[in-house]
Amino acid sequence: MSGRYHHRGNRNKNSNQTLSSVARETAISLPADSPVLAIFRAAALKLNDRQDRHERLVKLSRDITIESKRIIFLLHSAITKESQEKTLKEADERFQKLIKGPIRSIGLELENSPAYLHSRAVTAGFQEYIEARTLYSLMATKQIITFPEVVKEFSYTIQSEDGEERTVVTMLPEIDYMLGLTDLTGELMRKAINSISSGDSDECFQACQVVRDMYTGFLGITGNRLLGKKLSVTRANVAKVEMAVYALRVRGGEAPPTLLLPAAPSEWEGPTSTGNFSDDEGYY
Amino acid sequence: MCENHLINTIFTDFQKSLDGEQEIREVIRNICKEIGQISREVTTVLQVIHHNEAGIGPACLKARESFEKAREGYGKLKEAIPDTDYYKYQEHWRNITQRYCFLIALTIWLEKGILATHETVAEILGISAEEEKTGFHLDIEDYLCGLLQMCSELARLAVNSVTRGDYDKPLQISKFVMELNAGFRLLNLKNDHLRKRFDVLKYDVKKIEEVVYDLSIRGLRPKTDEQ
Repeated sequence: MSGRYHHRGNRNKNSNQTLSSVARETAISLPADSPVLAIFRAAALKLNDRQDRHERLVKLSRDITIESKRIIFLLHSAITKESQEKTLKEADERFQKLIKGPIRSIGLELENSPAYLHSRAVTAGFQEYIEARTLYSLMATKQIITFPEVVKEFSYTIQSEDGEERTVVTMLPEIDYMLGLTDLTGELMRKAINSISSGDSDECFQACQVVRDMYTGFLGITGNRLLGKKLSVTRANVAKVEMAVYALRVRGGEAPPTLLLPAAPSEWEGPTSTGNFSDDEGYY
Repeated sequence: MCENHLINTIFTDFQKSLDGEQEIREVIRNICKEIGQISREVTTVLQVIHHNEAGIGPACLKARESFEKAREGYGKLKEAIPDTDYYKYQEHWRNITQRYCFLIALTIWLEKGILATHETVAEILGISAEEEKTGFHLDIEDYLCGLLQMCSELARLAVNSVTRGDYDKPLQISKFVMELNAGFRLLNLKNDHLRKRFDVLKYDVKKIEEVVYDLSIRGLRPKTDEQ
């Protein structure tokens, strides 16, 4: 990092002037503190600042990703209705912690810098968060939480030391929300398949319909490269869910209910041995 | 159309904002075409420095005129982009802006032999040098990239001025580029675009060094060596 320069071969070792000696001469003649160097020192500060901020944001984003993944796992673990209520409550608490913790920190970190400069640092965290948040809202209210609603949750009132209040908003790019939604189809697929094994075929059909609706929606979107890439994954998810639902309908009657219902919710009466499929038709 | 109303709204809303974005991009593309054209004109005009000493002054004046025009273009660009979205659309004008930084820095060096600061370049383009939460500004990385491009051009100029019989200029260039080289070493560059561009600098430095060396061993170096 000192002021040495790349120089090539001392071709004329005997002569008192070599390529490197000439170069060295020029290097030595440089003043140690010139306006030019001052310009670069200022630039170095700016660049370092930017890099440090980026690193901090990546870290925050990673925290959000990990916690969101855990919340998704938690949401999947609920099998019975009673346990579901409990897990939903716990998930909600953990969302609040995320909103008040890392997501708020991102807002503060970017308070004075252009948010899009660092959007690449935080996009992974946001996507995972949206995935968890939408899954939660689907389970709790049967509705997908919309983009404006999520954005509303990301607004904070900060009280500074001298008692002044100011509003800080963590900017969530809409594309991150949509990318999170594409991932949601994967979670719903998993959920649908899980609900088959827990015997809740009603939920399975619902989840299937949501995945289908979302796929339909994504098909209509034009003009975004990132979404296009994820579309094939979404398509695969739709296919998997539909296969699962198909299997439930066709072969559901073959498996004994005891095998299908490890948790045995009492209200569900699966079709027993020789199919009363006509009943099914009516329900679903 | 799916039956679920809410999901429907989510997607139609998103499509709307995508469409809005496309419109903005269209406007940006048109402006960029304009200022890109101007930047190419300036590049052409400045080529004269490699073969005609006397042409340097007029070329700089002409370049200055074009910078005025570019300034108008940047004014339009500033209008077209939502305040917070500079970095969302940056890729559209990134290369052009770097080219302008190069051209402006070169012009100023030819005129006065000094390095144009970030602020000066920004001012000539009529934009802010300060990176803030909102607003259009000159990205520091673009400025630095422009300087690196200038070094390559100066390396070429060093060779050509010797051909022209001007043995003074290579020394001046050598000193200037060495100083920039020392400056760039103060930066902690990540493994990104700027870093890759910086890696080219050593070849420029080497080229200039060789010219100065050739002049030295042949005693062509001007005697008034009071560095």
